[in-house]
Amino acid sequence: MSLEKLKPYFPWITLAALVLVVGAINPSFLNPASLVQLVADIVPLFIMALGMTFAIYIGGIDLSMQQVANLVTVVATVYLVQYGIFVSLLCIGAGFAIGAISGWITTRQFVPSFVATLAMGFIALSGARFLSGERALSMNAEARDASFGWMFGNTAGVPHELVIAGILLAIAWFLQTRTTFGRALKAVGAGELAAVASGLKVDKIKILAFALSGTFAAIAGLMFSVKLSGGDANLANGFLILAIVAVLVGGTPLTGGVGGVINTLVGTLIVVVIRSAMVYLDVDATMQQMIFGVILIVAIAMTIDRSKMRIVK
Amino acid sequence: MYQLNKVDKKFPGVHALKAVDFKIGRGEIVGLVGENGAGKSTLMKVIYGAYQPDGGTITIDGKPVRFQNPRQAMDHGIGMVFQEQSLITNLTVMENIFLGFEKQFVRFGVINWAAMAEAARHQLRKVKLAIDPATVTSKLSFAQRQLVELAKVLTLEERIEGDLVILLDEPTSVLAKEEVELLFSLVRELTSRASFIFVSHRMDEVLELSDRIYVMKDGEVVDVVTHDEANIDAIQHKMVGRDVDKQYYREQKQRPYDQSRSLVRFDRVSLAGKYSEISFDLHPGEVLCLVGTEGSGREAILRTIFGLEKPSTGRVEVKGKPFDRANAQEAVARGVGYVPRERKVEGIVNGMNVYENMTLSQMGNYASNGVLRIAEEKALAEDWIKRLSIKTPDVYKDCGGLSGGNQQKVVLAKWRSGGSDIFLLDHPTRGLDIGAKEDVYDMIREMCDDGAGIVLVADTLEEAIGLSHTILVLKDGEFQKRFDGSPGDKPSLYDLVHHMI
Repeated sequence: MSLEKLKPYFPWITLAALVLVVGAINPSFLNPASLVQLVADIVPLFIMALGMTFAIYIGGIDLSMQQVANLVTVVATVYLVQYGIFVSLLCIGAGFAIGAISGWITTRQFVPSFVATLAMGFIALSGARFLSGERALSMNAEARDASFGWMFGNTAGVPHELVIAGILLAIAWFLQTRTTFGRALKAVGAGELAAVASGLKVDKIKILAFALSGTFAAIAGLMFSVKLSGGDANLANGFLILAIVAVLVGGTPLTGGVGGVINTLVGTLIVVVIRSAMVYLDVDATMQQMIFGVILIVAIAMTIDRSKMRIVK
Repeated sequence: MYQLNKVDKKFPGVHALKAVDFKIGRGEIVGLVGENGAGKSTLMKVIYGAYQPDGGTITIDGKPVRFQNPRQAMDHGIGMVFQEQSLITNLTVMENIFLGFEKQFVRFGVINWAAMAEAARHQLRKVKLAIDPATVTSKLSFAQRQLVELAKVLTLEERIEGDLVILLDEPTSVLAKEEVELLFSLVRELTSRASFIFVSHRMDEVLELSDRIYVMKDGEVVDVVTHDEANIDAIQHKMVGRDVDKQYYREQKQRPYDQSRSLVRFDRVSLAGKYSEISFDLHPGEVLCLVGTEGSGREAILRTIFGLEKPSTGRVEVKGKPFDRANAQEAVARGVGYVPRERKVEGIVNGMNVYENMTLSQMGNYASNGVLRIAEEKALAEDWIKRLSIKTPDVYKDCGGLSGGNQQKVVLAKWRSGGSDIFLLDHPTRGLDIGAKEDVYDMIREMCDDGAGIVLVADTLEEAIGLSHTILVLKDGEFQKRFDGSPGDKPSLYDLVHHMI
């Protein structure tokens, strides 16, 4: 089997190798119960990475996700008592709208997505700061349990968070592989010019892709907020780079068109294993971001399709 | 003096050069002819150092050389005059001439412009071009730019000791008759210092200028003829491997078209900066060919019909209905199919498989409520793979990995299976081998028999003449002349060229 044919399996191989290595260093890592808990803990990150997959799959990127999640933690905390469970609609609507605006700026104003989403992220951050009065807010515990208590808990030993993640993954996977929208995303990512020449509504597809990434960011923020029982304009900080790393090491390159949501599942697991390995190896917390920065650069350099990138600026 | 021995070059899926022997003597003018895809450009690129051969040797005066890049080739006296003009249009003439070689004019880190202008004037005198070297290149005519390109290459005269080899790639394609004459006399004069390799599609010009002519076909040199022995018919025969006859373009299958209906109507349509006051009708069963040089407005007209460009004035009708607020989706919905020139970039999606590519323009027909019926897509792909004998292992094969001819068949299948009956074909046979070209010609006739109308921008003039019912000649965006192309009454190459330039 040639190296080129093996390439799609690299993420799986990496994951298996990492699990074995970390397991060898610290056998308690492989304890099923602790593994399940470990995975359940990163569900918000996984959801954010799922959303990021859509943006990266079409060859763009969404740098606003972390700030959208921050905003949503504040919105959820502030309006929970007032709206109950329907605050989730408000949150998801906000995420969808911010993503759609980013998409509109990218496609109609020709602002590259990394700048458009970065700018929208700052706008969301301002919103979060304004709404929270720059304080860390805590949720009304009673209202939280009444509306969102179901998110956390176990059924037959399976954490509900994992069930939610599984459902979202299934939806995202169905969208990607079975629908005309998913096919169009692939066409835009792999060959936008050919998609235009086939009469696809490329702008609309791109706007929807960013709206989806915003939506997933909002869901991640909502879960995070409920989990930590509070809201704060900085609550989700540190998630953005992990989400990008998860998508890229999973095998969806920045140039888009290949990979997808299953790859992101693998990528997120790789990120989790690396993070716990750093804990076992006593890597200083201040160093962790640096290590993920290095992994990010390596992952981009290894996965990018250079035939699509003649000029890099 | 300059010699290639058994030079081989392979690309994934293509054996571009097969043991090519080539030599050029001091002061000689060598012609190089062959169809598109015969390997001419690959050979040129090997000669000027853009490609490195996989096998064989290159020698200059018997000494083996190997160029890693064009700059090294230049250092050995080999220069290239590019067909697609390599001048940077927002720089001045002198900046272009000395681009990358400004060092000779630099004093204390600053360019001495007066010295550069003087040196540039010297180069321009060689090509008898009396222009101010400080002119911005975009202000020059195409002919002038072509001469500046030549002047740029001729700076090798001062830089390099010894012999020069200068490649001319289609230097006459944008030139008028007198300008061609001027260029030729210049080249003849310059043979005192340099040898020339002359590549052109215009057979008569190659015959006129060259001392010897290399004929290429399918990556091989099939013949070398001297000036005195050369005969156009014999060379063309060698180039295509058979007589260029009516059979080749399927003229026997050309049937009269249905004049009573109009599929596309242009009524005095203009697009600012591209074309103006263009009128025509496309009928069912008609092949309408737009002929003109690059930039004559051919492509812009195709893009207008596909809704990618909005005309500034005039009226476009598609199937009797106005096409005012048109976009590509609307065009597809009205049955327009677009086969773009850049097949690998715009035609197929590299990275998607055969059935995904075939249904890309018509996913709605294979989906219920946005959910794809993939089994039906595969069945469609299998059907068309059989009908057009597309060579692919299965429907899951990435289209980027198919050969050019099979990619083109996938693109055509995409539109035909979607029920398109107005086809816009932009260089549909570019880069295809001869068998694949003939398949495309067959398909064009078939589509006409099915009542489709075709607007064609052909790869060569011969192709345009051979295939079309109607030819519109354009020049600088303006309509020049309409020719009728009924079998047996086709215009000649000369008729067309006469109006093109």
